[in-house]
Amino acid sequence: MAEILSLREAVASLVRPGDTVAMEGFTHLIPFAAAHEVIRQGVTDLTLVRMTPDVIYDQLIGMGAARKLVFSWGGNPGVGSLHRFRDAVENGWPRPLELDEHSHAGMANRYVAGASRLPFAVLRGYRGSDLATRSPTISTVRCPFTGEELAAVAAVNPDVTVIHAQRADRDGNVQLWGLVGIQKEAALAAERVLVTVEEIVDALDPRPGAVVLPSWSVHAVAVAPNGAHPSYTAGYTVRDNDFYQAWDPISRDRDTFLAWMRAHVLEAA
Amino acid sequence: MTKVLAIEDVVGGLESGMTVGIGGWGSRRKPMALVRAICRSSLRDLTVISFGGPDVGLLCAFGKVRRVIAPFVTLDSIPLEPWFRIARQRGLIEFTEYDEGMFMFGLLAAAHRLPFLPTRAGLGSDVMTINPDLRTVRSPYSDGEELVAVPALTMDVALLHLNRADQRGNAQYLGPDPYLDDLYAKAATRCYVSCERLVTEFKEGPVQSLLISRSMVTGVVETPGGAHFTSCEPDYGRDEAFQRAYLEATTSADSWRNFAQRYLSGDEGDYQRAVAG
Repeated sequence: MAEILSLREAVASLVRPGDTVAMEGFTHLIPFAAAHEVIRQGVTDLTLVRMTPDVIYDQLIGMGAARKLVFSWGGNPGVGSLHRFRDAVENGWPRPLELDEHSHAGMANRYVAGASRLPFAVLRGYRGSDLATRSPTISTVRCPFTGEELAAVAAVNPDVTVIHAQRADRDGNVQLWGLVGIQKEAALAAERVLVTVEEIVDALDPRPGAVVLPSWSVHAVAVAPNGAHPSYTAGYTVRDNDFYQAWDPISRDRDTFLAWMRAHVLEAA
Repeated sequence: MTKVLAIEDVVGGLESGMTVGIGGWGSRRKPMALVRAICRSSLRDLTVISFGGPDVGLLCAFGKVRRVIAPFVTLDSIPLEPWFRIARQRGLIEFTEYDEGMFMFGLLAAAHRLPFLPTRAGLGSDVMTINPDLRTVRSPYSDGEELVAVPALTMDVALLHLNRADQRGNAQYLGPDPYLDDLYAKAATRCYVSCERLVTEFKEGPVQSLLISRSMVTGVVETPGGAHFTSCEPDYGRDEAFQRAYLEATTSADSWRNFAQRYLSGDEGDYQRAVAG
């Protein structure tokens, strides 16, 4: 059953050094506030998992929180490269970053297998690509009926999945809607689940196409208004497109980046 | 572009020997008007994939079936579908039995155009023994776990019944359960939807009740009462009295002849008039 905690308590109790952590949310509902709290608490040696690592992981990587990245795309959406991610891969700054790169379909299938508690998932993917030769989590199985060789990706079961949602009720049932990515699967695949929400309400009213994560699948809920900024929360906040543009010059230079993080994350609680 | 067809157009486009998937669940929201039309046709040797109810039973009664692939064949309030039982006891049909979980993965594999999907469902049960064609796959990772490989339930045609549809083939369920109709639509080469009512706009039900996308649909038929005697909530419930009469009719050759003469000797309009009495 989910406990309703402050963000500081929730991160302190659920995110541990060395954990495999998935922070999910596709363009929408990206859990920035929780990531910033992870940085403030100095949790390190993380294996970060995410289908689309963008500014949120650029910040974690630049602050040295990650030793490995499991992903299927990386970039500042609509802007360009992630300079901290790039610096870590090219120059090992502030520390080397191990990579496990997948296709989107492969990562989605890995979460589904993890949520299903199966060891692997089967898809017709990775054909004609070198990814399979570079990843220990891409293998093959042969169809016992047709003989066709298919990709078999290893399940991903994070120690912690962190997501942002619109609402929770007082019992810790979580509701999210709008552009919903792989959050349900990432949450059900994880050992522990931390959800930040815009607000806690007395009762969740039905919404078309909403995902409800029942309280028993969630470990901690923390209120974090505007907690997806600079991404957005449908019905609550809009995407801060200017910030994504501004991130490019901030992140190009190590010192500018560190000064920005100090002013806007480390010293802002 | 309209995809509206008549019942006989749909059935006229089918061929003997085809694999036909039928949506709904047990004695619930079955495309019975289309099933009755198949019973009237010269089709035979069909392989029927279904969470089986009286759809499977009637097709067996009219000698249309070579093989049934199903996790169950039931009338819900009457546990055993009587014509399926007779066909099995007389050895008239072949039967591939899966459990419901395996069956769902078979539909999912076909919907994803994969030849199989792995699952734990079925392990440790006799379903593996009575289906010698089933296989297992081993995880290529260090766990080395052995899982059931469910072959794709690929079908030539899917037949579905929904509450509402538009002429382009979008379709909506208004009852408590979508069943697995969307997977049937995706698993089939061609999908035909019968509906209680053709509409120009979907004004009832929440957004997620728009279950079937026109991109999956070949043709649409308006068949009011077309799920009878199975349920089609909220338009109507199961006709339990008629279902009992159907059961009783299967107890002798004479009683079945009378039942078939009264209800199943004419077209769909004749059927609906006979039911209305």
